[in-house]
Amino acid sequence: MTTLPARILCYVRARWISILSIVILVTIWEIAGHLSPKSPLRESPLVPPLEMIFGRSLLGMSDYWRIDMWAPMPVVGGAQTYLGAFLALAYHSALTIFRLASGLVLGAVIGTLLGLAISWSPFLRKLSGAPLHLLRMFPLLAMIPLFQFWFGANNLSAIVFVAYGVGVVYFVATINAASNVQGKYIDYAHTLGASQLRIYLRVVFPAILPELFSSIMLTLGLAWSAVIGAEYVGVNSGIGRMIIWAEFFSATGRMMLVTILLIVYAGASYLVCRRVAAHVLRWMPSATRAEVVDHSIEAELPMEDQPVMVNR
Amino acid sequence: MIDIRDARCTFRHTSGRLVEALRGVSVTIDDGEFVCLVGRSGHGKSTLLRALAGLNPLSSGAIAFDGNTVTGPSPERGMVFQEDTVFPWMRVHDNVAFGLRSLGTRESETEKLVSEWLSAVKLTGFAHSWPKELSGGMRKRVAIATVFATGAKTLLMDEPFGSLDYVTRITLHSLLLDLWARTNRTIVFVTHDIEEALILGDRILVMSEGQIVDDIRVDLKRPRDEEVRASTRAVTVTKSIIRNLGLAGGVDETPEPKSSDLR
Repeated sequence: MTTLPARILCYVRARWISILSIVILVTIWEIAGHLSPKSPLRESPLVPPLEMIFGRSLLGMSDYWRIDMWAPMPVVGGAQTYLGAFLALAYHSALTIFRLASGLVLGAVIGTLLGLAISWSPFLRKLSGAPLHLLRMFPLLAMIPLFQFWFGANNLSAIVFVAYGVGVVYFVATINAASNVQGKYIDYAHTLGASQLRIYLRVVFPAILPELFSSIMLTLGLAWSAVIGAEYVGVNSGIGRMIIWAEFFSATGRMMLVTILLIVYAGASYLVCRRVAAHVLRWMPSATRAEVVDHSIEAELPMEDQPVMVNR
Repeated sequence: MIDIRDARCTFRHTSGRLVEALRGVSVTIDDGEFVCLVGRSGHGKSTLLRALAGLNPLSSGAIAFDGNTVTGPSPERGMVFQEDTVFPWMRVHDNVAFGLRSLGTRESETEKLVSEWLSAVKLTGFAHSWPKELSGGMRKRVAIATVFATGAKTLLMDEPFGSLDYVTRITLHSLLLDLWARTNRTIVFVTHDIEEALILGDRILVMSEGQIVDDIRVDLKRPRDEEVRASTRAVTVTKSIIRNLGLAGGVDETPEPKSSDLR
């Protein structure tokens, strides 16, 4: 059992180049922030320096606290407070994450189930071929207004939009993955007396999980884009909407703060998915699983997780 | 009893030409027999075995088990494949239980049978292991336990030990013969290894160009150790197989049709 400082030291040693590159990037940003011209509309530099982002801009976030409890509301003359800022960030973050998670789960479930249903029948597979290609061609963000027209500028619209965006990917991925399941497993299951349904549930579905998790990794970025896009254009809450509010007043610091928050959330959601994938796919040989999930995952797995070849 | 009558199987190879993998195979296999199908690669052994399993349809002719014509796969005819088919996403216990659960066996009975068969293949301590944690030989034992556990009356084995090292193969031969003796199931075992056929089979069917060209009763005593395999009778059987495989006058290379081309 290693101590925490030792683990941190080990982590830094293993990734010093990555850490150094980030430090250099932040330094360049800070220098640019102090040299950049001010925005003509408000006293905001085009490139906001860090002390401004995490100082004045963070405090200004309390402007977006619109509930008359726990903290004053600047929008009706109340003072700006850090409590209000954190509450506003937490509230709008929670809304965005709720829309993202709901859309992701809905899209994954519907896309996978439809994909499995289509894979069941060769006729349906052929029938769905051309429409599938069409669906993939639709520019996702261009469809936001249509979804808001159909479902309204509300939570449902954002959730359904995210579900549609990722659902199409899952649908296609499931059909492809199901057609790639090795015939030997299907034959083996048939000779053991398994029904078609049991083969789907116990053989095909687990066999396609690695490809589905690859899709999850791919669709995470897409889902974030979709939910932020939906909030940009119509839904009147969420961190995407916060960026638009900040843009109205050229508040570059606030825009940057929300962007940093988005990076943190996206990174965290990616880490959560990697952990879930590492657990669900623990039956796979480590090297293959790392290819599916991420090449860096092996470095983070505890030693107990490494495969052990048992002697005969 | 397995009754194969004028079994023919023709399929189109990926190159476009028609391949006649089985050319009128007729043979009867009695209950409890250990029959080895010997032949060169691409001469119809695996095609015949897959047809017996109901995985490949015949172009003409018929195969019947106890009078029932084969129309598709059945748990009555368990198959151990050449490739590693143990489900990697199930622990060893669940792999062995898969067939039993597919047949709707009660959970208590399933647990009992899984435990018995894991013990029979000497994998008792590995019930909760993932297949990736086992060696190739151990995974074969899982596949054997799975097929035996379902109660299949006939076991069809398609070069199951072909990818294993010599010592593991010898160990698995003993295990398989032990299980066969205890359960009295019918086993049809495909191999291209004449020595393996001599060790295992009490009957050897030699296949060449989609036909059975020789049917040899192996009346050698068991266990068939090196001394037995060096006996005059064993040498005669070996020579007969070699002659029927067309190896005596040199090897004629023919392209190998893959069983997957049949699907």
